[in-house]
Formats: sequence, structure tokens, C-alpha cells
Amino acid sequence: MTDDLNTTANEILDRAQLAAAEFHQFNQEQTDLIVKAVFEAGFNNRVKLAKMAQEETGMGVWEHKVIKNVLGTQLVYESIKNEKTVGVISQDPLTGITEIAQPLGPILAVIPVTNPTSTAMFKILICLKSRNPIIISSHRGAAKSCAEAVRICYEAALSAGAPEDCIQMISSGSREFTQIMMASPKVALILATGGTGLVKAAYSSGNPAIGVGPGNVPVFIDESADIPFAVSSIISSKTFDNGTICASEQAIVMEEAIAAKVREEFERQGCYFLSQEEITKVEKFAIVPETSSMSPAVVGQSVSVIAEKSGIKVPEGTKILIARLDGIGKAYPLSVEVLAPILAFYIAKDYNSAVNYCIDLNYLGGIGHSAGIYANDERRIMEYSQLLNAGRILVNTPTSQGAVGYFFNNLPPSLTLGCGTGGKNITTENISAKNLINIQRVSRRRNNELWFGFDQSAYYNESLTADQITETYYKNH
Amino acid sequence: MISFYYNDDEGITTLSFKGRMDTLAVAKVTELIQAEPGLQNPEKENNLVFDLKDVDYVASSFIRICLTHAKKEGAGRFSIINCQPFVKKTFKISGLDEILNIS
Repeated sequence: MTDDLNTTANEILDRAQLAAAEFHQFNQEQTDLIVKAVFEAGFNNRVKLAKMAQEETGMGVWEHKVIKNVLGTQLVYESIKNEKTVGVISQDPLTGITEIAQPLGPILAVIPVTNPTSTAMFKILICLKSRNPIIISSHRGAAKSCAEAVRICYEAALSAGAPEDCIQMISSGSREFTQIMMASPKVALILATGGTGLVKAAYSSGNPAIGVGPGNVPVFIDESADIPFAVSSIISSKTFDNGTICASEQAIVMEEAIAAKVREEFERQGCYFLSQEEITKVEKFAIVPETSSMSPAVVGQSVSVIAEKSGIKVPEGTKILIARLDGIGKAYPLSVEVLAPILAFYIAKDYNSAVNYCIDLNYLGGIGHSAGIYANDERRIMEYSQLLNAGRILVNTPTSQGAVGYFFNNLPPSLTLGCGTGGKNITTENISAKNLINIQRVSRRRNNELWFGFDQSAYYNESLTADQITETYYKNH
Repeated sequence: MISFYYNDDEGITTLSFKGRMDTLAVAKVTELIQAEPGLQNPEKENNLVFDLKDVDYVASSFIRICLTHAKKEGAGRFSIINCQPFVKKTFKISGLDEILNIS
């Protein structure tokens, strides 16, 4: 069985390598034509693909998946269309450094079940823009919709002159097969978006990887915040696609002094505070006790489904279930990431305690990902930002739509959010085409005046101190 | 720099620290802790609490003192309370926050 899988993996990767060989000869114009064609095809199918993804996975809201598809095609295209990714991308006569972009080679892209079509199209666009063939590995639960997105993009790419096999898809979908692919020396880079296990497997493969794992996004509502605005913003984010974006709010934290007002506002805007008994019931449905992590059954479900499966009754039209918690960690199951319209709610005795809650939440499975703050006090915004270990700190912004860029800020639109070394990533950036090129630097001779103007024999005189040498080194400059 | 509070009824001994706990300060508080009569009785089984409300910097030597006390007192009998967020983050980065029972 493993031999068969190895053979299949090799066949796919051999084809990808041939595509890479052809692709690296393309110029910027040819590349851009392909990217444009793929964007248009994906964009034109945004509604169909959104509905397919929702129907197949049973997760999220199709209208919101349309917006995700728009982000993954139109908005990503707009952000990369004028970017130079082929050949000479910059030249500076003063420094004498010329930068040349080279493609990486075959990229293995793992696609999560939560965004099967949008993430696939996004990764295809940034790979093609950087002239890299892409091999899509879809989640088994979203194989059909992902395959359809891949088919649409591939046909469009071919019609625009792209190399054969520049986009392929792994149909097996088995974990073993994906691991064999990941470990192949023929893979140039793994773009892994998914759960902790998957991302760890990518990093353990021996190949370079950009892996984006889970978040556990704390949001602090400061006493200086506009509370009705903050609550409305949080609701619009946590309900977006039923909370399937890993940057969605997980816990709301505030000081005691404003807690009643915040709670009242959540209730006024259609959210429901669970009783202790109801919290226990929801925990049983939403959290797997052995791993203290969210159950796949809760991901992307609506409040009505969660309530029904948990055996609780909530008012019709409830937008979010809110659990008042007093602590963080295993003893408080809902303090972990839950990609569904369920929020933890923390009341702290003062500002320091509130920020400490956020730090603890941040470190409970979400290091390096994202965090949010609602405040109109610049000092507190900056203090909070420096205390949290998050690649993105979203200010007065819904974290789901804020972290993925474009809608509410000037972050690059992306469905792969770097989490820095805390999340075992090499970058905290929103991943885009520029992360998928090797940049060569052609460095012309420019004699360094300081070095050549200094009498280097001084280095051999042991009696000269660093201060003395530095003074002479910079003299007359 | 350091104050000692004994609540024998509730079985809690609190060490309240104040200021920057840099290497010099840590050397001083170590001496003070060792010389504190109330801490010399091995029969006393009070839980030990470090209150860091007024501490805005901790050197690695201070974290080592916390670890030493946590090990000496045993699981659940040592805790650190009232950390300022900057200090809390420092303990997080040290990777020892769970062993040290910090709130």
C-alpha cells in the first residue's frame, strides 16, 4: 500500500517538476495573463462554489463563503496584480544591488475544511503569480467543492497558456499520502493551513513550510471603548460564516466597571448568556474532553444547531452563545478556540487583571495569531499590543474580517495568516505571492569608504579599545 | 523592597515585593528572606504567596527564586499573585508560568 502511495506521489511530483521547469521560463506578462484568467474564472464561480462548500461540509453560511471567495480571488488579485514577481524586481544604482525573483518549485498546499474553495483559489493565485506549480491537498470533508474550484482554476490557467500540470490535486486525501508528499525532496515548500497536527507534520517533514495553525483570539474592551459599536463589531465578526475563520473572536475581556453595560449591550443586540448548567451542556457538545479541543461537530454550526445538539433552549434568532467564565485552561473547556458562534466572557477586577486574562488566553493555543482591542485610548492600545504575542492586533475592528486584510485595514488580503515563531512560523505576515519567491541579490562592487578609509593595521594593536577604534573609524564622516 | 505578612489562621504567608527585581535587588531580597525569622520554622505549613503588585521588572535570578520556592513548598502550596501584565508576560516567555501557579 505504501509502495503504491509512493509511486503515485512520485508521479504527481514528477509532473509538477516538469511544470516548474516550463513555468520558470515565463515572463511577467505571460504570468500576469494566467493569474488574471484564473482570478476571473474563480470569481465568476464564487456563488456556485460557496454553495457547494456549504452543502458538502455542512459548515458556515453560503453568503459569507461568497465573500470569502471574493477575498480569495478579486481582492487577492487586486493586491498582487501589479507586483513584480518575475526576473528583475528591483534595481538600485546607489547601492548596486539588483534583486531577481526566482520561483521556488512545486508547492504542496493543504486546504482546510473550513474554507475549501476560497483558500484553494487564494493559494492557486499566489502560487501562479510566483510561477510555482501547486499541488492541492484538500480535506476529505470538502474534497468535491475543493476539486471543483481546482478544476475551474486549472482550465482557466491552461486556456491562458499556463504549463500543463501547473495545478494538480491529490485525490487520495489520506493522511499517510499527504505525509509522503510532504516529505518528498521534490516539494519546494509546504503551505499548510489547518489544525495543530497537520501544521506540525508539515514542519517535521524536512521541507520548508509556512504552516498556520489555530488561534485563540482574545478581545479586550477597554473602558474608553464605544461599547455599542464594539459589541456590534464583535457580533458581525463572530457570526461571519458561523465563526469558521481562525482569527474570529474567542473571548471577550473587560473590567468590572463596564461589564454590566457590555453584557446588556450583547443581550440587546441578540446574544444569549448561558447559565452554568447550560455552559456544561454546551461544553459536552463543543469540546472533546480527552484533548481539551473543539469537536469537529461544532465547527461552523449555527446557534440553533448548537443549542439543539447541546440540549438547551435559546430564544429564536440568537446570534451568539456567551459563557461567563472565571478561569482559563482545562478546567474551563470553553476557554479554548471554538470555531463557532460561542464566546467566552471574562470580567476582570481591574485593567491589569483584564490584560493578564488576555495574555493567558493568547498563550492557550493561540500564540502568534491575532488579538483584538476596542479602545479610544492610544496609550492603552499600544501597551496592549506590546504585551500580546500576536501577529495581528486588530484595533476597533472585527477580528475575522480584520485579520484577513483589505475590508477594514491595509493588511494584505490573505487566507494564510503567519503566526511568527510562537506559532512555529517564520513570519507574522499575511502570506501572499511575495512569500513564494526566492530573491537573488546581484551585488555590484561599491567600495565601502569607511572600511577603505581606515588604517586597518589598528586592528592588530591590542592596546586600542573599541571606543578608540570607533572614534577613528568614523572620523570626518 | 520586601515585606512579610503572616496569616496563620488562613495558613498563608505573603511576601510582598516592591520595585525592580534586578540582579542586585534579588541578592538583597534573598538575604532578607534567609534572615526572616518567620520563615525559619520548618513546622509551619503555611502556603507561600509572592505578591508582585508593585514589581515592574523581574530578572532571571528572581524567576529562579520563585522556582526554588515552588519546588520547596510543593505543588499547589506556592503561588504568585497580582502580576502586572509586563511581568506576567515575562513569566510566560520563561515557559515556567504553569509550574509557578501565577495569577
